[in-house]
Formats: sequence, structure tokens, C-alpha cells
Amino acid sequence: MPIPYDITQNPLNTNEWSFPLMECIHIAMFAMSIGTIAVVDFRLLGLLFKERTPAELLKATGIWTLIGLTCVLSTGMIIFTTDPLSYYYNYSFRYKLIALLVAIIFNYTIHRKVAMSNSSGGVSVMTGAVSLLLWTSVVFAGIFYAFTEELHYVGGPN
Amino acid sequence: MSADQISQAIQNLPYFTAVRESGLAYPVLLSSHLAMIAVFGGLILLTDLRLLNVAMKSIPASEVVAKTRPWKHVGLTIMLLLGIHLGGAKFQDYYDNPYFLVKMALLVCVFIHAIVFRKSVYKNPKALDSPGGPSAAAKVAATLSLVIWVSILSCGRMIAYWDNPNNQPGKAPLLTPGQVYGRHR
Repeated sequence: MPIPYDITQNPLNTNEWSFPLMECIHIAMFAMSIGTIAVVDFRLLGLLFKERTPAELLKATGIWTLIGLTCVLSTGMIIFTTDPLSYYYNYSFRYKLIALLVAIIFNYTIHRKVAMSNSSGGVSVMTGAVSLLLWTSVVFAGIFYAFTEELHYVGGPN
Repeated sequence: MSADQISQAIQNLPYFTAVRESGLAYPVLLSSHLAMIAVFGGLILLTDLRLLNVAMKSIPASEVVAKTRPWKHVGLTIMLLLGIHLGGAKFQDYYDNPYFLVKMALLVCVFIHAIVFRKSVYKNPKALDSPGGPSAAAKVAATLSLVIWVSILSCGRMIAYWDNPNNQPGKAPLLTPGQVYGRHR
């Protein structure tokens, strides 16, 4: 059953400023969330704050990661409402959602466990590298969405 | 030679033409630019929040400043290099874009900010690690840094939303009411 929803009535689509404003908040907040996770990743890779333990850094940054993630997910969902179908039928966006889910689960399970255990060597290097790659790929997919418009509505209603 | 001709000559350099016309190079460079904001911009944000005495309080502010400094330099260098590619490839569209110009002015402010607060704050452990938290000067420096960087980021995003009226003779510079704003930029 089609949902009676007219995107042209969405406040984000009826004025000039709200959409870019949401994007700016989205970008600033992913800098906060990914940036704070990256601090722990760099420590796991043995590149930053070598005198501090990964657990210490995780405790110091965890709350800011959570605040950043909450804001970035909220603004992301608001942006999604401006044109749900075109996002849904975009492969880049689909990858982004899956990678985001994996990255969040990874962050609060394996990443957290490895950081808290202060283990060093191969496991911690792998964890830091996987985390950085996962989050970077989410950012890439967010940008590639705008460059993969030809895939819109592939297999969708036309 | 007018500014328009100079900017055209710059974006038509073979290298910038190749970047612009490659289907993959531009999105990859843009994504990398954004990924650098995520990874290294986060370091700037964290340092500012530490100087404001709200984040990472368990680690001395001087240590946060000193340890993140080389990485911020690396990040800024990569961001600038990527930005030169992005701006150069479309320089004719960019050079009179007000958001681009404000962004460039703000980038100059970043360097001025660093010079102004270098001695009094960033290389001054006394100002950073006093018992009551970072000094007032450190907090001013952090607040200014936050304002400048958030503005740079916002201007960067807004560059895409400015339609040059000169490029569209007879057309209104902004979308007319009733059209859907924001999508597919």
C-alpha cells in the first residue's frame, strides 16, 4: 500500500536553508563521532598517545563518540526524509547503511573489547585498521550517493 | 586578462582538466577530503573541547595539544592538497563564489589564529595545565578555533548551493518556490 507522503511538503524541501543546514550539522557531527573513534584507532595502531592506554582513551572519548553518533544519525534520518525513494534505490546509499550498521556494531563490540583489554600487537593493529576503513567507507558512500544518480530507481517504480 | 580568464586558464590546465573529466577522480578526491575532515577534523574538535575543559579531562591539556599537533599538520596538509584539486578543477565556478571566498579567508584566519595563540596558549603548559583548568586565553583560543572550523566546513558545503547568476542569463539565480530544494546536489 503506498504511503501518502508528498516530499514537496517536507519543510526541508520548501525552503532554501534547512537542507544545507542539516548537511552542515551532519558533517560536523560525523567529524566528532568518527574523529573520536579515530583517536582510539590511532592508539591501537600505535601512532598516537603512546603513553596512554587504549582503554584510557576510549573512556575519555566515549561520551563524545556517542553524542556525535546520536546527532549524525538524527540529522541523517531527517535528510533521508527529503527523498526516501531516491535514497532507497541508490546502491551507494544501501552500501552506506549496511557499512554503518556493521561499523556501529563493530565499534561497540570487538573494537570496545580490544581497546578495553589493552592488548597490543596484531589484534589491536587489525582492529584499529578495520575500524578506520569501515568508517572511512561510510563517508565515501555518503559522497558517492550524489555521483551514482543513474542508478536511481533501478528495479523501482518508474 | 580578466579574473574570469585567469580562472578559466587555471581550470583548463591539463592536470585539472583530467581531474574534472575523469568519472572517478572527482568523487574519490571529494570523498577523501570529507574522510580527512572526519578523521583529522575530529582531532581539532577534541583539542578545542579539551581546552574548554569539557572533554578528555583525565589527560592533561598540554599533552592533548602536543600529541595531536603533528597529526593535525599531516591532516591539514592532505586536506589542502585535496582541496587544491577540487577547487582547481572547477576554478572558474569557484573563484567568484562568495562561499568559496569566505572559506579561503577563514583558512587564512586558521593560520593567523595559530600564530596569535602559539606562545600564549599552545606552547604554554602553564596556560594549559593550571589547576583550575585551561586559562581564559586558552578557552578564547578554543572557542575561536571551533567557530572558524565549523564556518569553514559550512562554507565548504554551501559552495555547491550557490548558483552564479552570470552563468544563467535570464534565469533567476535561485530555485523558484514550489521547486524542491536541496536534493541531488
